[in-house]
Amino acid sequence: MAKKLKGDSFFLSANDLKTGSVVYYNGDDWSEKVYKAKKINRSEIEEHEHIAKKFEDECIIISPIFVELNDDGTIKKLRDIIRKNGTTF
Amino acid sequence: MYQYSDKDKQIVRNRTKEFLSQVKRRIDGNLTEEEFKPLRLMNGLYLQLHAYMLRVAIPYGELSHIQLNKLAEISEKYDKGYGHFTTRQNIQFNWPKLEDVPKILNELAGVEMHAIQTSGNCIRNISCDHLAGINNEEVEDPRPWCEIIRKWSTFHPEFSYLPRKFKIAVIASETDRAAMKVHDIGLKLVKKRNQIGFEVYVGGGQGRSPFIAKKINNFVKKRDLLNYLEAILSIYNEMGRRDNIYKARIKILINELGAEKLKSLIESKFKKFADKKLLLEEDEIKKIKNYFKLPINDPIKSSIPVKKNKEYNIWLNQNVIKHKLAGYSIIMVSLKHYNQPPGDATAEQMKTLSIIAKQYSYGEIRVTHEQNLVLPHIKNSDLFSVWNKLRALKLATPNIGLITDTICCPGMDYCALATARSIPISQKISQHFKDQSIQDKIGNIKIKISGCINACGHHHVGNIGILGLDRNGEESYQISLGGSADEKTSIGKIVGPSFSEKELIKAIQTIIKTFERNKKNNEDFLSVFNRVGIDPFKKDLYDKSNP
Amino acid sequence: MTKVILNKNKVLKNEYFFVDDLTNLTKSNSGNLIVTLSQWLDNKKTLSKKKNIGIQLNSDESLSLIEEEISFFEMIQFNFLTFKDGRPFSEAKKLRIEFQYIGEVRASGHILPDQYIFLLRCGFNSVEIESKQKKFWLECLKMGMGLYYQP
Repeated sequence: MAKKLKGDSFFLSANDLKTGSVVYYNGDDWSEKVYKAKKINRSEIEEHEHIAKKFEDECIIISPIFVELNDDGTIKKLRDIIRKNGTTF
Repeated sequence: MYQYSDKDKQIVRNRTKEFLSQVKRRIDGNLTEEEFKPLRLMNGLYLQLHAYMLRVAIPYGELSHIQLNKLAEISEKYDKGYGHFTTRQNIQFNWPKLEDVPKILNELAGVEMHAIQTSGNCIRNISCDHLAGINNEEVEDPRPWCEIIRKWSTFHPEFSYLPRKFKIAVIASETDRAAMKVHDIGLKLVKKRNQIGFEVYVGGGQGRSPFIAKKINNFVKKRDLLNYLEAILSIYNEMGRRDNIYKARIKILINELGAEKLKSLIESKFKKFADKKLLLEEDEIKKIKNYFKLPINDPIKSSIPVKKNKEYNIWLNQNVIKHKLAGYSIIMVSLKHYNQPPGDATAEQMKTLSIIAKQYSYGEIRVTHEQNLVLPHIKNSDLFSVWNKLRALKLATPNIGLITDTICCPGMDYCALATARSIPISQKISQHFKDQSIQDKIGNIKIKISGCINACGHHHVGNIGILGLDRNGEESYQISLGGSADEKTSIGKIVGPSFSEKELIKAIQTIIKTFERNKKNNEDFLSVFNRVGIDPFKKDLYDKSNP
Repeated sequence: MTKVILNKNKVLKNEYFFVDDLTNLTKSNSGNLIVTLSQWLDNKKTLSKKKNIGIQLNSDESLSLIEEEISFFEMIQFNFLTFKDGRPFSEAKKLRIEFQYIGEVRASGHILPDQYIFLLRCGFNSVEIESKQKKFWLECLKMGMGLYYQP
């Protein structure tokens, strides 16, 4: 999951198992609201991989990913921006 | 049209029940995602970027007006009010919830539809010529054969966990409208010495290594068809590579073994172990054929309304084809309106089209692999009325076969595998070339766009193929030229380094200019390309000294 | 993790046992011996003298490696390394049709209840599963009985 990650800060995101909706980890729970997402530093990645695994095992989320952030806290990659904002056409 | 037997109904209902139990087991934690994934895929359920995606089978691309109306209802009730018709003649819903999927399957079962084997490493929905049964060219209607193969391949005990997906197409004409030669198996009904049977092609496919299928048998008798298919699949299941998913398709096996070797393995299996129970007897074939009798039998006297309306006349010329029975026409319903994602139809469009089909086309609709729809049996005298209705729905864009009639995958706007967007590219092309006189001047040309190397948008077989890639976080588009998916199937040649999203339209413009400069008389793009080769295009695109 | 054998809808105890060291076979082992492919290939001579032997092939091990001796075995077990590896479905069918094998054909390893009907229809008689998964297997068996197109 953390392979090939660049940058220093991230959101932890996934899809909700039952609805498929894009959700973000906010520190203790998952929410569709990206403004509530917890900013994660590079050093905290491993810990958050375990957290994601726990929620996967509990059948809450699927397909967890780390979303790379720019220095100003905005999402970096187009793919992750599309996941957040929806289709672009 | 085919109608379900009691057994079909039972099997589909049962499958729905089974899936409901699988979803429950998944949510309760009795199935891991790793275990659930192949099971949900075999029911057409993917996880994409924003949501789950459900792919519903439209067997051999044929729909009744009732089914189309149901698809519209489902899109409104469980999705966002639209669906996407695919290059394998299926439809995809982009936003269903996992918990709703068993309900959707139940509703589909009510109109004799399902999502069985629309994904997963099994035999997928059988593709067919969208003009099957209504053109003058074919040796016989290929649809009954698709149905026979559909039954045989559904929940096949031996072939449900293949090395990789497996696609079959059936055609019956010299003209190939189903991209038969880029399928794992392509079947072509042919007449030899007064007998009808099958030419068998194996090992076509696109993806990261495109191959054109090779003919491995000139004539398989009708009664032997299923045993022959069984022999191919059995050898593939045993010998297909499972160590690398990119090398797992039968196209790789045939290229590693050589066509002759694979053929001899298949032939020996077929000759020694053919199962008597799989032999197709005449009366059985006849029974299936009966379902596919056309709703109309005789030619009629009916003439096309003559109107002094330019738009209507352009549409007649571009989107209407002769039916095999005089007095009737076939309407190609374009799903490539300039503002619409290619292949998408809204609930309103589907609902109204369903009513039009009921009123004017004996309740039948077809789906083409080029992501358009077909109204197969329209009385000539109704053409003007139908045109008016289609036009009001934005379903009468007169661009069938022209530059704005692109094939396009969902790309990074939806797909978890995509490396770049494809829908916005197709929309830019449409916007740029939407002027009818420009399109007419360019003539027949096929642009096909994929958002990644998996080639769902058929870019390898586009006259102009566009492949979206990710170059260090930037979308970048590689162009190939000269591909074709018809009876003269060819794989396009990459023209050179890729273009940024901004440069792409200019590059397409340049390609069109090169074509127009080299064009003689009424030559289309592919003929010009085949005559002059790739060099003039390369030169115009990349030679800096060339203004 | 207790395992049981399902033969259609009958729950049975496993009669077969593996040993790591074939030279150390004691009389205390009750039931029938089952050997891995490599054990068989290394000890063919001695093993051929015994009776009621089963052999286990992993899903990536080809039947062709024991082609000559198939009828010797009392039982042939295909051990699925992953349920996604569908080769044993073809191998089982081959056993029944090409080799006319009438002994027991068993599936073990990573298999899913959703595959039960397919396994039976390809010629398997039995499956080795976790005891607590029993009810799912029996449910799947009941649900899918007779509902298929192929002869």
